[in-house]
Amino acid sequence: MSQSRAMIRVSEVTKRYQRGGETLTVLDSLNLEMDEGRFYALMGPSGSGKTTLLNLIGGLDQADSGELDVAGENLAELSGAGLAHWRAANVGFVFQGFNLIPVLSAYENVELPLKLTPLSRAERRKHAEFALELVGLKDRMHHRPKQLSGGQEQRVAIARAVATDPKLILADEPTGDLDRKSADQVLELLGRLNREFKKTILMVTHDPHAAAAAQSIVHLDKGQLGRIEHNQPAQAVR
Amino acid sequence: MMASFKLVWRNLTRRPLRSVLTVASIVVAVFLICSLRTLITTIRAGVENADSRRLAVMSATGLFVEMPMKYQAEINKIPGVELTTKFQWFGGYYRSQKNFFAQFAIDPDTMFAMYPECQVPPEQIEAFRTNRTSCLIGEVLAQKFDWKPGDTIPIIGALHPHPDDKAWEFQVAGVYHSSVPNFDNQTMFFHWDYYEETLKESGPMPGVGVFSIRVDKGADVPRVIADVEEAFQDSEQRVDCVTEAEFQRQFVTMFGNIPLFVGWIGSGVVLAILLACINTMLMSMREQTAEIGVLKSLGFTDGSMFGLLLVQALVLCGLGGGLGILFAWATSGPVAEQLGAMFPGYRIHPETYGLAVIITVGIGLVAGLVPAWSARSLRCVQALRGTD
Repeated sequence: MSQSRAMIRVSEVTKRYQRGGETLTVLDSLNLEMDEGRFYALMGPSGSGKTTLLNLIGGLDQADSGELDVAGENLAELSGAGLAHWRAANVGFVFQGFNLIPVLSAYENVELPLKLTPLSRAERRKHAEFALELVGLKDRMHHRPKQLSGGQEQRVAIARAVATDPKLILADEPTGDLDRKSADQVLELLGRLNREFKKTILMVTHDPHAAAAAQSIVHLDKGQLGRIEHNQPAQAVR
Repeated sequence: MMASFKLVWRNLTRRPLRSVLTVASIVVAVFLICSLRTLITTIRAGVENADSRRLAVMSATGLFVEMPMKYQAEINKIPGVELTTKFQWFGGYYRSQKNFFAQFAIDPDTMFAMYPECQVPPEQIEAFRTNRTSCLIGEVLAQKFDWKPGDTIPIIGALHPHPDDKAWEFQVAGVYHSSVPNFDNQTMFFHWDYYEETLKESGPMPGVGVFSIRVDKGADVPRVIADVEEAFQDSEQRVDCVTEAEFQRQFVTMFGNIPLFVGWIGSGVVLAILLACINTMLMSMREQTAEIGVLKSLGFTDGSMFGLLLVQALVLCGLGGGLGILFAWATSGPVAEQLGAMFPGYRIHPETYGLAVIITVGIGLVAGLVPAWSARSLRCVQALRGTD
């Protein structure tokens, strides 16, 4: 796909689910490579395996067969605890429903992944405040999620995802629950993280407007790789 | 690594009413455990602290059946008997039945020699000896009714009504202090002579409820017991003679096997509170399912999720247990006052507090184990969907 180093390498990956006594093949011997430092959108109809692939790449689920090399690690070789440590060090997640911890403030939510690092309390504070500043919500750091709008919650979730400075950000329909204005702010933020901080971003979406913010659009259909489109930088949402 | 204590605390307080009710139920349970356990230890202390040289003689028919007064002289003749004294349960009350406390007619000449643990200032003993209608009261009784030497106490004789159909009147001659836990501080002792002479005016000579015996040093106690029982084998009233320890045990268990009964209640309380705590923790875990998925996606391990839920249960139970222990400690005085007549020396021992701590931690561990294991076993994607 390019001359850059591969951040994600999916080789012959198959994932099946049992549902009502029936076996559903969600991903079927999928092969895919994604470069470091690029912004990808993963599109496809419902049931095409987008979220399943995202979960496998993020180490949240395991493939039935095939290999996944992500951020220099063969995920099949990692134990449960090993995968947890790998996630903490390499991946930031952004979910459609924001998934902030409701009993913690914005700052405490962002600080949470930093507690898995050897950083001191003062350093954690510095990192968390920087992440919140990056998403423009430092002034709301003591607010609980229910005191924030949907767009603000998602920006806090992005701050949490980048607080530990991971190489890879995986976003599952990050604009799915947002109005257009908030969605554009989130997409702009993701674009900025890619451009300025060289984060590799993989965003699942079925919204063409959101996908236009990415540099590449990967299409999945019935668990198999479809076409790959490359956007011009100018197409990215501002 | 566990997420943080702040998260544990916030999770516990996200449903304040539920947490408060759960903590309150643990408080009540721990208070009951401490109180019930103390009833058992008090019974045992009474038995363990009993004087091995003292025996009690009562009617073989039952504790409330009187024996003829002439038995005392015959008991005194039995080899090995050093001293005897007599008691009669009066069963009266002060003003109303809710002011009930124990009163005994006694013989002052032998009572204090028999019970040196009943400590009274010499001048008050002398005042008691010389005034036939006087009485001695325990210090707790004195505090409870604000009685002091010189006061006159009217007692309505429920079992032994006054011949003139009025209250019996007793002048307080002194206040005694018990130096041992199994001789209670809430009893009134008055002159046998006053009791006997007053009742003789209207009816037959009153009998004796219990004779206390002190045996000679080195006496063969089983032999003396057998001799006492043998002495009245063919008399109008056969007797049972038992050690003081056995008498105390029989007295507190005359309504049944109290330790067994109390043990069953205690076990039921622990089981009920355990089920309530498990239910609370399972509901709490269900609410946190999606958040457990988020924490796992951030890199928190299965083990740390296990710890998070377990610590939540331990903090919840620890809080309830701690407050329960505090409540039991703070109320032990009034409870002892209420139960003193039946359970003299009621006092919560450190071992009982220790048992309450162990039970509290045990409930916390068991209640936390099921949700903690569920949280540990949850697959990340499953948890993120909010299904357990």
